[in-house]
Amino acid sequence: MLEWMVWTPPTAAVFAGLALLLAGMAVWARLSPPVARRGFLRIETDRGDRLYIGLISAAAVLTGWIAVTDLSMWLALACALLVALVIGIWG
Amino acid sequence: MTGRGADGISPADAAVAGGQVTGEVLTGDTLAGAAREAPGEHDASRADTRTKDNRAWFLVLPVVVSVAFTAVIPLMTVVNFSVQDIFSPTDRIFVGLDWFRDVARDPEVRAAFLRTLLFSAQVLLLEIPLGVALAVSMPRRGPWASAALVVVALPLLIPWNVVGTIWQIFARGDIGLGGWAVNTIPGVDFNYTLDSTDAWITVLLMDVWHWTPLVALLAYAGLRSIPDPYFQAAQIDGASGWATFRHIQLPRLRGVLTIAILLRFMDSFMIYTEPFVVTGGGPGNATSFLSILLSKIAVGQFDLGPAGAFSLLYFLIVQIVSYVFFTVLTRTGR
Repeated sequence: MLEWMVWTPPTAAVFAGLALLLAGMAVWARLSPPVARRGFLRIETDRGDRLYIGLISAAAVLTGWIAVTDLSMWLALACALLVALVIGIWG
Repeated sequence: MTGRGADGISPADAAVAGGQVTGEVLTGDTLAGAAREAPGEHDASRADTRTKDNRAWFLVLPVVVSVAFTAVIPLMTVVNFSVQDIFSPTDRIFVGLDWFRDVARDPEVRAAFLRTLLFSAQVLLLEIPLGVALAVSMPRRGPWASAALVVVALPLLIPWNVVGTIWQIFARGDIGLGGWAVNTIPGVDFNYTLDSTDAWITVLLMDVWHWTPLVALLAYAGLRSIPDPYFQAAQIDGASGWATFRHIQLPRLRGVLTIAILLRFMDSFMIYTEPFVVTGGGPGNATSFLSILLSKIAVGQFDLGPAGAFSLLYFLIVQIVSYVFFTVLTRTGR
């Protein structure tokens, strides 16, 4: 049935991870509601906003990396996750 | 409102009530900003005691389902395409991030990216001031208001490909009125099929002609929602026309201009039909924007993998720019 979607294990893992992340954020919001505050991004953000900004920034890092250098993409992934983490904590 | 305000309600509360009655979005306005803080403090102390019933959110489910069906699932498929070399649903090879690397380093793609960015910047720089100027100079009431509205809205009623066809003929030097006039009256050699600058100008003018009315209508609606007392106060203070515009009209247009800028950026960044009809991306590749290049790869050459990677990078850029615009225009000053 889903043959036309030509799934591969890595992309399935990525989407499953995203779904888990969103579900986790929903549960977390239930346990302790997010509070908006201002970090080094200078705009008022709550947890979900920072997750979105972090994911988009991570994607931008990966794109920039693949566009300019041949270094390993695992290194790029580490950098991207670091960026997302920094934005998530102090953004 | 003024009557109740005189009865001892603080000016801030009166302003809030006034804002609610007129039903406007008061973003960015200093008056509204000052007024909004006062009830916010009231609510914060009350909010915790109230039980919340969020079941109304289930009414959003149909939208979620339809968006999942029309946007999320196709997008997932595009992601799957972008990491494989696909010959048929059963005959496909996983290639990892190769397509992303190819697309991100392709000089043709990079040139098209810069070209599209330049085009969007020019579109915004031309259409936003022009649309606001048009809206300000349109009559506020009377029979001429309706007449002006109809005339301004006319280009919006024309489908994209017809706009393309109109301008394809209009800009021609031999049989088109516009092209002929430019060639004959100032005597400038204008030929959009041969000269890349002329082709660019033609496509840009066409977009300005087609979409400035949208900005004008949005701005006009924003201007109409400004209550008359603002203008009366400005008149009493002896404010000049420019001061009235700068300190009353422009700040109150912030909300609609946010929408106008977002819409015009996204539309011009994704522009496809008009340049496809008028120039087909040429001459050479002077007007081959990202969308034209993408459709050439996806539909023309049927390279689904590179096209998928291309679309995702394209999507990422639109996301980033739209989010930055949105944040800058709605969250600054908070």
